[in-house]
Amino acid sequence: MAILLAPAGSLEAVAAALDAGADAVYVGLKGWSRGGARAELGWDELAAARRLASARGTELQIALNTIPKARERAALLDQVAALADLGVRTLIVNDVGILTVLRRRFPELNLTASIGCGAQTAADVAFFQELGASAVVLPGTVGPEEAAACCGVGGIAVEIMVHMVEEFVLLGRCWMPSYVHLKPTAMAGGVAGATRQTGSMKRGGVGACFRICQEPWTLEAPGGRRETQRLPSRQISRLADLAAYVSAGVAVLKLQGRSLPPRALGQLVGRYRHALDAGLTGDECGRFAEPSLPPAWTVVGR
Amino acid sequence: MTPAFELNTSISNLRDLRASDLGPYDAVYLGNIFCRVYEDNLLERPADLAEGVRIVADQGKRAYLATYAAPRNDFLPRLRKALEVAVTAGAAAVEVHNLGILKIVRDEFPSLPAHIGGFANVYTDAGALVLKDFGAVRITPNYELDLQEIDQIARDGGMPMELLVHGKMPLGISDYCFLLDYEAAWGIECPALCQQDLFLTKDGWAMKSVGKGVLSGKDVCMLEHLPRLVAAGHRNFRIEAVSESPAYRHDVGSVYRQALTRALSGEYDVEPGWWDLVQRHSRLGLCNGFYFGQSGMDYRGVRPEAAAAILQIAPREGR
Repeated sequence: MAILLAPAGSLEAVAAALDAGADAVYVGLKGWSRGGARAELGWDELAAARRLASARGTELQIALNTIPKARERAALLDQVAALADLGVRTLIVNDVGILTVLRRRFPELNLTASIGCGAQTAADVAFFQELGASAVVLPGTVGPEEAAACCGVGGIAVEIMVHMVEEFVLLGRCWMPSYVHLKPTAMAGGVAGATRQTGSMKRGGVGACFRICQEPWTLEAPGGRRETQRLPSRQISRLADLAAYVSAGVAVLKLQGRSLPPRALGQLVGRYRHALDAGLTGDECGRFAEPSLPPAWTVVGR
Repeated sequence: MTPAFELNTSISNLRDLRASDLGPYDAVYLGNIFCRVYEDNLLERPADLAEGVRIVADQGKRAYLATYAAPRNDFLPRLRKALEVAVTAGAAAVEVHNLGILKIVRDEFPSLPAHIGGFANVYTDAGALVLKDFGAVRITPNYELDLQEIDQIARDGGMPMELLVHGKMPLGISDYCFLLDYEAAWGIECPALCQQDLFLTKDGWAMKSVGKGVLSGKDVCMLEHLPRLVAAGHRNFRIEAVSESPAYRHDVGSVYRQALTRALSGEYDVEPGWWDLVQRHSRLGLCNGFYFGQSGMDYRGVRPEAAAAILQIAPREGR
């Protein structure tokens, strides 16, 4: 049976997600996740969230999905040891090196290769299975048929980010913001000497990538042509495909949105809860109408 | 005799390969990593790929196969065919940006050494060691790393690095090509669209669009800093020319061949002629990428004119 994994950026949001029917919730540990300081939890909040989830018989997963520098690795390992002591059993990581180090040091933990690891194919899933990951997250652009091929690898849980913003550049493969502006900043969470690279999608920590991909551009072409251009992005919702993903063998249906306010998050989780339950029982849950998309969004020539 | 260093470049199709003078180079990456329908992409044309490997080898150079940076399941059969052709034709290595492809290479084509590409996101020595266990023999670290971090990965990861020393640095890859929206309006169809000189400009800076790929608008230029690189022990260098003309490939490659030879001799200065040539081929100025821990579009060096953000896009040289 697939579970619904919800995001949360605060203790209130954890409660809202659980109230709305999430089977598990993931949060970022302050200073160590890409969510940025406004969508991460400090230790006290995290402990409270863990107690809350445990009381509901659900799991709290922790995103450690920034890539610390080598000199910060010892501090990361200390944090993970403390998380394990707290009863956390699943970590979400964004780097094959970190994943392997944690696998060796904490064999009892479940390690998820985050969406930022860039897996999209059955071969990618097989790579992470061999590496010892317990789960791998694929983007919602991977449909149920492709997901079935990925699930066919076996020995690793496949998660699909069924609700997410798809930006023009693929997650985990974007250095546009840091090309313009890269700024070392003190790391939230108070590890002495540790910095995060504001502007880096992989090593940031303040949550700001400047969103340059969402700004209007001028596309300059030979012959003096000048066009106003926005790099395409879209909201993906796989609400109508949940049952198909479950049939394909997908283990976890994951939602993006750690920065959502609790009320909006509760509505989102509730909608997916309802759709998942209805889909599994064959009930009608209402058709999800995807907004019309510009021509560039047809997957031409892929 | 083993050369003291390797200078390599990238070429997407047979037409470009035949038009290019490979004289300055020791090796060539064959194939376009961004898009399956790039004009006659060698990755999609087994006969062309075999011919390309032969052309490179006949000139005494090493042919490497480049592979897709962001493949989907339906890419894999064609990719396996390209790997098979590469092995049969005698390619010297394969460049891998994708971890699933790395596993395919190790499991199914173990005779082909794997070079890890910049999109594979090697940020730490721990990551390098993982990929070494999967058969990697060389790594292009993630472009966001500074030289100190790169030196540390080379030292603790136990593998040689390959460094982009000149050309437009990859900044991102997409599943989609928005240029297709302009086919009708411009009267230019795919696959000619992305071979236009297309720049996305904004507030005094720019990026180059190659359809599914985004590159730096400025050219990374490490001409002033080659002694630093060779002193740290780096010996594999790349001129990224996948979106450039054969003239660019030749002229810039010739400059770096001379410059690297001189840097390794221990007595180094930048010839004015070298500087003029790389400036002439750069349409938006020069930068150092992230090598000095700064924003990727910044330039550090004694030639301040290089840092200028010249938003008057100069015409391409030798087109």
